[in-house]
Amino acid sequence: MNELLLQGLVNGIVVGLIYALIGVSLNVIFGVLRVVNFAHGEFIVLGAYAAYFAQAWLGLSPLLAMPLVFVIFGAMGYGLYFVLVQRLSRSNDPEHASLLVMFGLSLVLGALMLLAFEADARSLNFTLDPPFLMFGNIILPTTKLLGLVVAILVTGALAFFLYRTMPGKALRAIIMNRDAIQIVGVDLNRLSALTFGLGLGLAGITGILVSMIFPSFSPFIGQDYTLIGFIVIVLGGLGHPIGAVAGGILFGLAEQTAMVFFSGTVAMLLGFVLLIAVILLRPAGLFGVQNSR
Amino acid sequence: MTDEVKEVRDGEVVPAPASQGNIEKSNHIRSLIWGAVVAVIIAVFLPAPLFASNLSFLFYMMLWLTMAMSFNFVAGMAGYMPFGYVAFYGVGAYAMGVLYKTFGMPIPIALAGSAAAGILVGLLVAPTLRLKGVYFGIVSLALAMAMKLVISLMPRDITGGSLGLILSSANDPLAAYYAMFLVMMGALAAGTWLSMSRLGTALRAIRDDSEAAEVVGVNVVATRLKAWIMATMFPALVGGVEAWYTNAIDLDSSFNLLVTAKSIVYAMAGGLGFLVGPIVGASALYGIDQLIWRNFPTLNLLILGVVIIALMLLLPRGIVGAFAQRFSRFRRFIP
Repeated sequence: MNELLLQGLVNGIVVGLIYALIGVSLNVIFGVLRVVNFAHGEFIVLGAYAAYFAQAWLGLSPLLAMPLVFVIFGAMGYGLYFVLVQRLSRSNDPEHASLLVMFGLSLVLGALMLLAFEADARSLNFTLDPPFLMFGNIILPTTKLLGLVVAILVTGALAFFLYRTMPGKALRAIIMNRDAIQIVGVDLNRLSALTFGLGLGLAGITGILVSMIFPSFSPFIGQDYTLIGFIVIVLGGLGHPIGAVAGGILFGLAEQTAMVFFSGTVAMLLGFVLLIAVILLRPAGLFGVQNSR
Repeated sequence: MTDEVKEVRDGEVVPAPASQGNIEKSNHIRSLIWGAVVAVIIAVFLPAPLFASNLSFLFYMMLWLTMAMSFNFVAGMAGYMPFGYVAFYGVGAYAMGVLYKTFGMPIPIALAGSAAAGILVGLLVAPTLRLKGVYFGIVSLALAMAMKLVISLMPRDITGGSLGLILSSANDPLAAYYAMFLVMMGALAAGTWLSMSRLGTALRAIRDDSEAAEVVGVNVVATRLKAWIMATMFPALVGGVEAWYTNAIDLDSSFNLLVTAKSIVYAMAGGLGFLVGPIVGASALYGIDQLIWRNFPTLNLLILGVVIIALMLLLPRGIVGAFAQRFSRFRRFIP
């Protein structure tokens, strides 16, 4: 029983870091643009398909496909910002308008993927030489270990970008005070477009990790990842990029241990209960500052 | 009297502040227009089964009219966006199925149970009404998913598990048609009550500025709760009647996100916040939607998504809202 629990905890950390990545990219977008990206999960699934086809057509391993997918998704996000998001800031109620537009986008993307890739679930043909490592009685597949390392590296790089570089600092400054940053001469529009690109680029990378670590993916599961992202960012604090990491790991641990003792359904339900409880008791998130809204 | 005086503000012609008599007059005209709309709806749907060969088309039209109208109660009149609206529909369908099939109740009582279940769930989640904007939308979506999971965890012999419930002995499409007609009339009545009474004025005041409304003595919590209860009861009833009409209930169709999506699209296309908005929107889009559905079933979701995006970007206030903005002097006559 103890080993089962330990195995659950290990899985929880691996899965939790993937969830953290989903949350971080959602939070960067929400923090800067005040847009809740309802279509985030669909972009993640699209990333998983990108890894699949990069391997099938170009013979690229998922790791090599990552920078490529990041650039392509980033450019897509940059363009989409000007098509969809920019006009929203002029609407009466930008928050609801953005929710609805992104909801529509998620329906469109889900349907397009269903048309293009058909309904059956696919999985990536990706294994490493020792398929798993044993630590005592705990089995750790090497693909998961690799995913873990990549997730830590990506999160680290993002933290470095946000806290140590000028554009990153400007980006955080927008989250803190939108009006002041325009006075000091930052091009809000361009930076917002870059942020949307960054968020989607990260979603693409997350999708590749998802294709490596989870057994399969299909056009229908985007919504699940969006919801997981919502749970994670609410746990960590809406609009708080690094808080999402803690939220993601916490949710991953809770979900995977619940899966050990109960079932997948109960684990999902636990996530929703956690989400609702946190929103009602601590709306700013477990790690957020209460006055953030 | 200076009724005819108009002043120009920001390049827009704004009617002079109306006198008491003028307000009463425009209220009267507004009620007349609304009465005419309701009369047309009754004239179309009440005798229709006598002539129409396609009962199903009309049944689902009433269904979407009702869903869009009750979505408007909470989205248009109270300013909340429940993305998990389908939860109430699904709970209503299951309440009907379980009461009728598992407990052997007669259909009218089972349908009353649907309404009660909707209200009960609405009251249970009422604390989420103190959340604002994005938070409310996210929690609402999560609640709908949680509700589906809870029902899937219930014992098989009550809810039928993944197979769902089959109510074959209840087959009576015509009776179900008129049940849906009654539900729709109920929603029309509730809409009239919510928008034309003092309650409606209070709701609009809260939507526009809840703190100011509270200062002038509006009971914010109680007023919101009334609109919320109306908005949760009708989808539950609709779900129950639809279950009766199709005789089948299963988790995936009862908690299909499309139900929420279509309620939103129809209500928004017409114009949130107007009584006639959802009616205009549902009438305009329902036929088009059916045409697409019949000819390109796989494109349905795609087109629905495109319509939502296009509406938000090009016509964010809906058909009625755009009309009211363009011809602002008719604004006060639109119910």
